[in-house]
Amino acid sequence: MGLALLVGISATFREPDHLTRITQKNRPGGDMQWCFSQVKGAIDDDVAEADIISTVEFNHTGELLATGDKGGRVVIFQQEVEIKSRFVSQNKNLPQFRSEYNVYSTFQSHEPEFDYLKSLEIEEKINKIRWLPQKNAAQFLLSTNDKTIKLWKISERDKRPEGYNLKEEDGRYRDPNTITSLRCLKVAFLLQVPVLIPMDLMVEASPRRVFSNAHTYHINSVSVNSDNETYLSADDLRINLWNLEITDRSFSVPIGDQNRNSCDIFSCCITPCCWRSLTARSSDIVDIKPANMEELTEVITAAEFHPHQCNTFVYSSSKGTIRLCDMRVSALCDKHSKLFEEPENPSNRSFFSEIISSISDVKFSHNGRYIMTRDYLSVKIWDLNMENRPVETYQVHEYLRSKLCSLYENDCIFDKFECCWNGNDSVVMTGSYNNFFRIFERGQRRDATLEASRENSKPLQVLKPRKVCTGGKRKKDEISVDSLDFNKKILHTAWHPQDNIIAVATTNNLYIFQDKVN
Amino acid sequence: MGAFHHSQPSLECLQPASPASPSPPPSWKFGVSCLWSMLGRGVKRKWSSLEVPEAEQLPNTTAMEDKRPGAALEESEEDRGDRRSRTNAGHVEQRQLVLSLCLEKLQQYQAGVELSLRRSVLLINTLRQIQEEMRSDGTDVRLGGVSPDAHLLRDDFRDDESVTCPGCTEGDTENLSPPPSPEPTDTVPTDLQKPPPNAIGHTFSDAGSAMGYLSDLALDDIFEDIDTSMYETSELPSAWAAGSLWPVSVSFWPDDDVKLCSSVGSLQSCLLDLNELDHIMEILVKS
Repeated sequence: MGLALLVGISATFREPDHLTRITQKNRPGGDMQWCFSQVKGAIDDDVAEADIISTVEFNHTGELLATGDKGGRVVIFQQEVEIKSRFVSQNKNLPQFRSEYNVYSTFQSHEPEFDYLKSLEIEEKINKIRWLPQKNAAQFLLSTNDKTIKLWKISERDKRPEGYNLKEEDGRYRDPNTITSLRCLKVAFLLQVPVLIPMDLMVEASPRRVFSNAHTYHINSVSVNSDNETYLSADDLRINLWNLEITDRSFSVPIGDQNRNSCDIFSCCITPCCWRSLTARSSDIVDIKPANMEELTEVITAAEFHPHQCNTFVYSSSKGTIRLCDMRVSALCDKHSKLFEEPENPSNRSFFSEIISSISDVKFSHNGRYIMTRDYLSVKIWDLNMENRPVETYQVHEYLRSKLCSLYENDCIFDKFECCWNGNDSVVMTGSYNNFFRIFERGQRRDATLEASRENSKPLQVLKPRKVCTGGKRKKDEISVDSLDFNKKILHTAWHPQDNIIAVATTNNLYIFQDKVN
Repeated sequence: MGAFHHSQPSLECLQPASPASPSPPPSWKFGVSCLWSMLGRGVKRKWSSLEVPEAEQLPNTTAMEDKRPGAALEESEEDRGDRRSRTNAGHVEQRQLVLSLCLEKLQQYQAGVELSLRRSVLLINTLRQIQEEMRSDGTDVRLGGVSPDAHLLRDDFRDDESVTCPGCTEGDTENLSPPPSPEPTDTVPTDLQKPPPNAIGHTFSDAGSAMGYLSDLALDDIFEDIDTSMYETSELPSAWAAGSLWPVSVSFWPDDDVKLCSSVGSLQSCLLDLNELDHIMEILVKS
């Protein structure tokens, strides 16, 4: 009796909302076991420069995953959930969910430009992608290179109209005078209303807005406000506030306005659909450019809006400070509301202290109570209510502290690593060298070093934690600091907003890992 | 050639992802590409000696205790013994290395690509820190009272108020060049830093438009008492006599006294040595 009946049913469909709740939303970091899921990108070691991934971002539901590369392209992957049911001997139905991300849309976001005035190339590399919350059937994202931000609309088309009778049999358009309506019945035929018939799904990306000429320096961040009406863009010395919507009327910018620099006149927002350029002022909300550039000692490195408070944003600096600003206080947020800074540990002082204190990424927690910052050697978590020191500090690769001189020489010390929170703010992740990435479980005070590599890329293979040997006898499976490959750096990582699915970008490959229980 | 030579390639001077540095100048009058290489490009020194100051500052670091044979980081017994006594010297040596690297990086550029302001600001701040330290140590007479970095950001090409064409900033770039200047006895004469005039002129005019905010440095007051006539060539534009970054990059060669001699007499003997060296090089090359 009971012949084991193995029936494999697999269905692939777009994941409905309720399925996302099944996973570990309620488990705080838990006992995560990361498994390889997918890898995207070229296999060969010869990396084409245009393929270098420069940004990774999940959308707000996690269904879409966008990457930008050095060649100015955006590739969007869409999650499809596969359900496998197996009936084993006791007829136990064990559904297993496995998400797969497949290419959804690819488009060229930015092209290389040449600034003839300064004889300088403007790279097409995508610095950041940020998704807008979905309001209708279409998806919107902001993508930016060093100088220009674009709002892209990604829409699906699965029907097309057929049945137009505007043309004669020979292909010429009918004379409109011969087309009439039912009422008239003058001539032979009536104008036919076309019908929509199904077609293969087509995903189209079209630029809806182009925000240009607002940044003199290199854009490092964009952040959408929680009001979904505005967003900020930050370069080395200034932060601009933009309106996502534009009105039909253009308005002039006073030329003699002392409070606005003259480049405002040229900041424009172009709508390609109607090919009209409107001089919309992007207001400077932060400007740290000194009157005398010789006095410049600090630049803005990252900026982000608070996830809930639409008037609050933070920006980090190259000196390791974070400033929280409230736009209600004044139009130009020269005075910060809060300044987060940790006094330097004198025993760690070296020639490289300032360089390694430069913050490369700043991220609010999803609940808006904490800020996470990434500097060269560590990840720090700050409580918004405590400015004088972080509440948690995690060492990413402390073994590099004694190697700073050579990392300075080969320029690695200037690498900018990003960091990210998991969905419930209990775990944080950041990248390192040798294609290692680090996961820190806050509550459990546990951390892991994992590696994204082709060798560990068998389907559902569990990632083994890696360990770097800092001295003494090197154990088996450990890797010594000298053997680390500093050309293999993981700068960009992203965490699914709800599930334990992470996207990790090596130089030109995108790895997707899932928690085993997923 | 990197400044550090290790048996394992990983921490060697990797090809930086950022703008490529100008290659070492071809041999010139004194024919000393090897001397150029001494300046921070090719010197072989023990990894440990450079990392010593950091290790001293961090008593907890275990990186220095690597005892595996064949490891590039391994210290010999004697080195470890000497380590403490060499702390100050090691620190000074590292400081000089960082300083020269700093200046080298500040002069790196890639034609047609805008420099990263963040990187430049960090480099300049590091430079300032080193200068401050040297000033407070009283070690370097030359840099006393001079802040070359103050001018580095002045001519920010990206100043949005002014609309300047590349041609207009060319004037400034003429001053960006190595002037001939004497060096202490056992340091490399600045003149050796001078690549062939055409190359450097062209290089800097490109650099000027690309670098934007790097401009002339008023270091001439340091060198005013120095007779540079003996190796000034007619090919050099007179503007090159103005100060520049170059002497700063070469002057801090390890010297126990750290006394920088500026007399012409010692310079002459130095040049004679170099002439001999050049002669030797020619022989070696021909053989």
